[in-house]
Amino acid sequence: MRRFSWFNATSLTLGFAFLYLPMVILVIYSFNASKLVTVWAGFSTRWYVELFQDQEFLDAAWVTVRVAVFSSTIATVLGTMAASVLVRAGRFRGRTLFSGMIYAPLVMPEVITGLSLLLLFIGIGLDRGIFTIVLAHTTFSMCYVSVVVSSRLATFDRSLEEAALDLGCSPFQAFRLVTLPIIAPAVISGWLLAFTLSLDDLVIASFTTGPSATTLPIKIFSAVRLGVSPQINALSTIMIAIVAVGVITASLITKRAAVTQARDEQAAVRATG
Amino acid sequence: MSQTVFAPWENPEEKPLIEFRNVTKRFGSFTAIDDLSLDIYAREFFALLGPSGCGKTTMMRMLAGFENATEGQILLSGQNIGPIPPNRRAVNMMFQSYALFPHLSVWENIAFGLKRESKDKEAISARVEEMLRLTRLTKFAKRKPHQISGGQRQRVALARSLAKAPKLLLLDEPLGALDRKLREETQFELMDIQEKTGTTFVIVTHDQEEAMTVASRVAVMDEGKLIQVATPDVIYEAPNSVYVADFIGDVNLIEGRGTTEGERIRLDWAEGQPPIWATPRGPVDTDRALTFAIRPEKVSIAKDKPEDRRNLLEGEVIDIAYLGNISTYHVKIAGGQIIKAQTANTRRLANRDITWEDRVWLSFTETSGVLLEH
Repeated sequence: MRRFSWFNATSLTLGFAFLYLPMVILVIYSFNASKLVTVWAGFSTRWYVELFQDQEFLDAAWVTVRVAVFSSTIATVLGTMAASVLVRAGRFRGRTLFSGMIYAPLVMPEVITGLSLLLLFIGIGLDRGIFTIVLAHTTFSMCYVSVVVSSRLATFDRSLEEAALDLGCSPFQAFRLVTLPIIAPAVISGWLLAFTLSLDDLVIASFTTGPSATTLPIKIFSAVRLGVSPQINALSTIMIAIVAVGVITASLITKRAAVTQARDEQAAVRATG
Repeated sequence: MSQTVFAPWENPEEKPLIEFRNVTKRFGSFTAIDDLSLDIYAREFFALLGPSGCGKTTMMRMLAGFENATEGQILLSGQNIGPIPPNRRAVNMMFQSYALFPHLSVWENIAFGLKRESKDKEAISARVEEMLRLTRLTKFAKRKPHQISGGQRQRVALARSLAKAPKLLLLDEPLGALDRKLREETQFELMDIQEKTGTTFVIVTHDQEEAMTVASRVAVMDEGKLIQVATPDVIYEAPNSVYVADFIGDVNLIEGRGTTEGERIRLDWAEGQPPIWATPRGPVDTDRALTFAIRPEKVSIAKDKPEDRRNLLEGEVIDIAYLGNISTYHVKIAGGQIIKAQTANTRRLANRDITWEDRVWLSFTETSGVLLEH
């Protein structure tokens, strides 16, 4: 029996307020007409207009989008490959070690990841710029992709792949024609996750970037050090919106796919007469 | 009857389609298949029958190419198929779970294998239509697997595996997921399709009735070995071991010591009881431990002692299982052993004269049972 109780309502309100109040304030102030961040002077979208006329911000945004698209795409390919090996290869020597090593960067402090990548890039004499940020973002976001994809593959009926082989597919064709279409929702949500992670990364990007490539988070961070401008609020609001859409879409896809896949597979496996 | 009986295994000239030559398969320290040799001929409907874990599925997976033999060779049309990957074998498999591709329609599922052969579109389409007609699925061509019933899915799986016209079709417990009535119908459908297409079928099943119904020959397996390979009637009427007799159908087993007396064997099975007389299939050593196996339907039951039967056992009715068309009487004989006797219920239930705790006589002829050595 579920009843309304003041205790539950209060806990819920406090919890969510703690989580979202700062963002709500940021969003509200992004529509502030006043130049002073802390003084409300009526509703206005002028900071959004100004933002879109600021070439530096637009450049940074373009860098960020490119980095996010490339790194999440590479991360999806690598993460899916890693996931299929780990789920499929059975128990080979060192399997636990391998899966542990794939997931370790998930919990690795970003400062350490960033620093070690920086040392590597300097060591091999790679000029820092967009390319190095892409590499760095791929490194950490592929772990997330492989977690998402391997949880889908774990429930994948192996005989579907065997059936494809039996009907004349090469192993690669079997993957492309049967496995991939079926696990596609997980792969897509993995991509979206990687995309959003790359979009808002500051720490690793600042370690691995060069003078030619400033991403939005780096731009915002350095701008804020000179004082919070309403423009930054507007920009942050846009980023919150993009990230929220990405994360919500990813989770919706996963959830809906899980439901339909379960239904389809069960229906296809179990005969109901 | 001038019809020739299909029995290529009795013709020494006939070349087998599949040859297992001393095949052993080990998974780690577990031996799934133990030095097994077997010939299967073209156009056969061959059943591998056994309890789970007996190695029957492993044999099928070796034929399909998903497992490789640890030792020995498997030949298909005289060619060693060991090094050939599954996608290059003229063998198709119908999976126990059907393994229909959920993202493809019935039509696309059936066309899947054909498309891999780089045939032209019209040939593929004609073949798919033919398969749809054969399995009576034309109406459902556009549906997805989850939009059709279990029986229909089973037929899609069959159509898909037959579409490439394989030399050999493997069926892994194909009817396991269907309910009893549908299963019986489908068994006849399978036999019909097998005959129409002339494909060699190898079916794996743990259901002995299914194996007996569909197969031209049955191989009874246990622990990675073949116990008996024979036609269903031989398996049933003349099992070569207690294991086979016990595994296939219902059977009464009476242990005793056998002595040859002229043409017959005398089996002394209990102190102070008249012996059982049986005709041996081959020469039997005198005074050996033997088991007499007789099917319940070959045992007659009567209230009055029949005078004309050689083999008589007296006992008391313990239980009666009424199955509608037949009744099985459980009769306790000397020594406490229960013997089952089956009679067809040709008369109405009310007219039946034998009931619980009645003293009854069980009788059978000398040729109705078999003697099995230990």
